[in-house]
Amino acid sequence: MYLLEVKNLRKVYTTRFGGAQVEALRSVSFTMEKGEFAAIMGESGAGKTTLLNILAALDRPTSGEVILNGRKLTDLKERELAAFRRSNLGFVFQDFNLLPTLSLKDNILLPLVLSGESYGEMERRLQPLAKRLGISGLLAKFPYEVSGGEQQRAAIARALITYPQLVLADEPTGALDSKASDSLLRLFTEINASGQTILMVTHSVKAASHAQRVLFIKDGEIFHQLYRGNLSVPEMYERIADTLTLLTTGGERHA
Amino acid sequence: MPRLFYPKLAVSSIKRHSQVYGPYLAACTLMVTMFYLIMFLAAHSGLHSMQGSESLRQLLGFGAVVVGLFAVIFLFYTNSFLIRRRKRELGLYNILGMEKRHIARILSFETLFAAVFSMAAGLAAGVLLSKLILLVLLNLVAFPIPFGFEVPRLAVLTTLQLFSALFMVILASSLYQVRLAQPIDLLKAEAAGEWEPKARWLLALLGVFSLGAGYFLALAIEHPLDALVFFFVAVVLVMIGTYLLFTTGSIALLKLLRKNKRLYYRPRPFIAISGMLYRMKKNGVGLANICILSTMLLVTLSTTVSLFVGIEDVLRTRYPREIVIELDSYAAEAVEGIRRTTAGVLSRHGLAEQNLVEYRFLTFPVFKNGSKLLVEREAEAGLTGAYYNLYITPLEDYNRLVPEPVALGEDEVLLYSNRGSYEYDTVEILDRQFAVKEKLDSLPGSGLSRTQTFGSYYLVVPDMAVVESLRQHPAWSRGGPARTLYLTGFDLDTSSEQAVALFSELRAALPKEIGWVWAESRDEARAEFYVLYGGLFFLGIFLGTLFLLGTVLIIYYKQVTEGYEDRRRYVIMQQVGMSKQEVKRAIQGQVLSVFFLPLAAAGVHVVFSFRMITRLLILFNLTNTSLFVACTAATFAAFGLFYALVYRLTTRVYYRLAAA
Repeated sequence: MYLLEVKNLRKVYTTRFGGAQVEALRSVSFTMEKGEFAAIMGESGAGKTTLLNILAALDRPTSGEVILNGRKLTDLKERELAAFRRSNLGFVFQDFNLLPTLSLKDNILLPLVLSGESYGEMERRLQPLAKRLGISGLLAKFPYEVSGGEQQRAAIARALITYPQLVLADEPTGALDSKASDSLLRLFTEINASGQTILMVTHSVKAASHAQRVLFIKDGEIFHQLYRGNLSVPEMYERIADTLTLLTTGGERHA
Repeated sequence: MPRLFYPKLAVSSIKRHSQVYGPYLAACTLMVTMFYLIMFLAAHSGLHSMQGSESLRQLLGFGAVVVGLFAVIFLFYTNSFLIRRRKRELGLYNILGMEKRHIARILSFETLFAAVFSMAAGLAAGVLLSKLILLVLLNLVAFPIPFGFEVPRLAVLTTLQLFSALFMVILASSLYQVRLAQPIDLLKAEAAGEWEPKARWLLALLGVFSLGAGYFLALAIEHPLDALVFFFVAVVLVMIGTYLLFTTGSIALLKLLRKNKRLYYRPRPFIAISGMLYRMKKNGVGLANICILSTMLLVTLSTTVSLFVGIEDVLRTRYPREIVIELDSYAAEAVEGIRRTTAGVLSRHGLAEQNLVEYRFLTFPVFKNGSKLLVEREAEAGLTGAYYNLYITPLEDYNRLVPEPVALGEDEVLLYSNRGSYEYDTVEILDRQFAVKEKLDSLPGSGLSRTQTFGSYYLVVPDMAVVESLRQHPAWSRGGPARTLYLTGFDLDTSSEQAVALFSELRAALPKEIGWVWAESRDEARAEFYVLYGGLFFLGIFLGTLFLLGTVLIIYYKQVTEGYEDRRRYVIMQQVGMSKQEVKRAIQGQVLSVFFLPLAAAGVHVVFSFRMITRLLILFNLTNTSLFVACTAATFAAFGLFYALVYRLTTRVYYRLAAA
């Protein structure tokens, strides 16, 4: 059984003042196995963010379905969605999305507080996680007091603290310098190695080259996919770059 | 570059920011209108000619000063909101290659448009409303309504001068802010200040102390004159306390709550406490402003309303009888002279005295020291104790006025205190000890006392011989404040006009050669009281409206600013797993508590001010406490309702912005 199944997703936006329809996703289908680390690549406007929003149950598709661990997201009621999101999904965003009003610790604990966990349980989960992410010493600080890389680590801790089925990452390195990006991507690889399923949306070749599988999306469809197999990161980088060149200069579909 | 480039840019930016600019323009216009109206009344020619209008015009002049001051502070404050919201746009212009002097030109045009618009619209509205406001005022002070319509030059000119100057100063301060700032700061200005507030315990403590001291003063003051002196001290202390507590005290408290982990790490407190902490830092001053404006409004309205509603009570306190005559001697022949004159005038009008009260008094001031009442010289050694006026009257005068005569043994007295109760069973005056046989709850005609400002003791002694012996006491050998008095007062069963006519006749006929005679009439004074208290009432409503508008606008700006700022927070909360309902509930809880905090604090202020204000009202001869309670409660209820309405309307704006 797949952890995540995406079948024939279609999303059409209607502009506010009637008429014009924009097809953000035409027909997207793919599957993910448990423990996979996949990246979705595509240019701006290719439909990446729409896809991610639908996977995150923040938006609903016009047609098609998303099945996570056997449950159809599209069947969930509005009321159940928030709790479902909280316990099954973890999010990492480009601009971290930490609440400026909370310390790093409180930001990380936020999902657990919302699910009504006991404080003892929160502490029990927080300590090893913070240690693993190298932010144990920063927990009392506020987002504006630490660097972007450290904020992103806190955001990852927030995503992982609920032990989610799937971590969704939206351009996680987008706002980081190259050094912080490198260490973040290594972290993702480590987390993945310990069994966490990760789906990352990015247009950074470097970020994608750390994934085991890269899906290319163009004009609302999965256009092509690449498997890492036994390739090293630099080799994978080259393959992705070649594919992108092909994609932009126009070419046949290989998916 | 086209000639109208800058004016067009200015107009379009006013339009684009209509959500914040609209209320600002409305506020400016309203301020102009209010200021013109009060100036119009103060300068109206019709008011000059009327009797008793002097005090009214003084009141209106005072009102104009308050309105002007308020307009200055208030428009400055709202403009600062505006500039903060606009800094990003201005920074963008700067980065796109516009020089600061070009930005200055845009800002100047904007201010010019705002000034011209608000002064034109404000004056037009003022002129249109002026007749109405005049009718309202004249109706309240019971003046006849004059014909005609007038636009006093003085009012128009003063309004134009004040607001032109004000707009220039506002422009200068905006330019100064823009000039100082670097483009990057301008771009980031909206996001600035996101750091966690520090708990400043010392200031919080100072706030508690200041508020406590203010409250203590308000509760501890006994004497109305002290209340007058210390009222402003108490007000300043409470204001300082309010500002400190809203800004630092609230933060200190929230941090304390956050330290309690079992309490804090639960869904609702978690969102509420962290959100409030953040908000109080940004809005502490705004909330304190709302609180203080609300308190001012409540106090102004409740006092002026109770004075106006209680005007007949006031008249009855100030004038215990329709006509009161005072003579500085109780010599039998002098008293007889007064009686004869009065009887003559009354019989000519075919009327008889009703509720006649007559007293012969020996009176002097005393300092109360335990059960000893010290006269001035005795007290000089150490001026201790409270100041009282002592009135001593013989038993025969008292028995003539009460249905059941009383008997007093030698050295026995009856004692009546107009304020508080006398706590001892004996009383010592000028080395003479008396046993208090009975403490009276009331005295016929309130002893014909016409002011409740001072505490007074009334002593009924067995006979005139006792009174005389006290009068001839050696303590007065070098002269002194002891005086003898004859007081008489009576009501008339007739119309107000006839009472006034009779009174002026009586006043002319009173014999002058027998001593110093003073006579006064309730009906003659009524008109003056209506002018004064009606004028106060009018001013209370006028200023109340002004404060109300101020409160509403501050609330509106607060909601708009917060709506923009909170939007991002709520998006994040949804992303990490809060449902729309939960977010909405969190918003609601937070907005609600932030919103009603100032009202609750204003309520507490009013409760604590209550005792002091009742003392102050005594100076205005209003002793009817239950009336004041009712007026305060009614004012608070009405204001609370209005506040809730404003909350509903502005919260809608907030939701639209925050939950978009």
